[in-house]
Amino acid sequence: MSRRILIIDDEDDIRMVAALSLETVAGWDVIVANSGAQGLQRAAEHMPDAILLDVMMPGMDGPTTFRELRKNPKTARIPVLLLTAKVQGADQRRFADLGVEAVLTKPFDPLTLSDQMSRILGW
Amino acid sequence: MATPSNPAMAAALARLWTRFLPEIENRVAILETAAASLAAGSLTAEKKQAAHDAAHKLAGTLGTFGLHRGTELARHAEAFFAEEDRTATAQQVTAGIAELALLIKTRK
Repeated sequence: MSRRILIIDDEDDIRMVAALSLETVAGWDVIVANSGAQGLQRAAEHMPDAILLDVMMPGMDGPTTFRELRKNPKTARIPVLLLTAKVQGADQRRFADLGVEAVLTKPFDPLTLSDQMSRILGW
Repeated sequence: MATPSNPAMAAALARLWTRFLPEIENRVAILETAAASLAAGSLTAEKKQAAHDAAHKLAGTLGTFGLHRGTELARHAEAFFAEEDRTATAQQVTAGIAELALLIKTRK
């Protein structure tokens, strides 16, 4: 089944590899945003089935973007998966406590990212 | 790198690697500058923060392109510049950065 995913990440390389992965391997539609603010706008415009959200971004970081998504009734129920290069347990627990669906670790495997997301989201 | 079982993906990743290589090399250069300053005893807070940020980005990126050792070395550098790892010596971090630079330079 085709899905629409919004990727919010300020790093061009990560954003493009993730988009390539989800489009090529899973055949999903991908929308991208390079900042938290742009991500909020695109989420409300496109109503994706899920959001892949980077943690460390300049300006509005991932946790703040997540809280803003939850404040907007239109985007409040969209599942969010955080993407982070922070691998320490304390960081992972802090992010998980935000209420996101899952915390995915960078680097990810481009060949299995969509499978990983599908399993988490029950697709 | 992507497995040979998905050649289209491998080819696309190779193109993205070429496209983003200058940015990756720039991040390594930031680390090398910080390592040189460290050796000279002149590492400023600004250079240290820049090195931490560059290492963090490399840690997240390199493994995605199949350079898992690169991610490991970048994580060591990130922990060192964030002062999360107080056991590593400056020499160890400098050697790690040199290995990282070589790894990227020689990647096929």
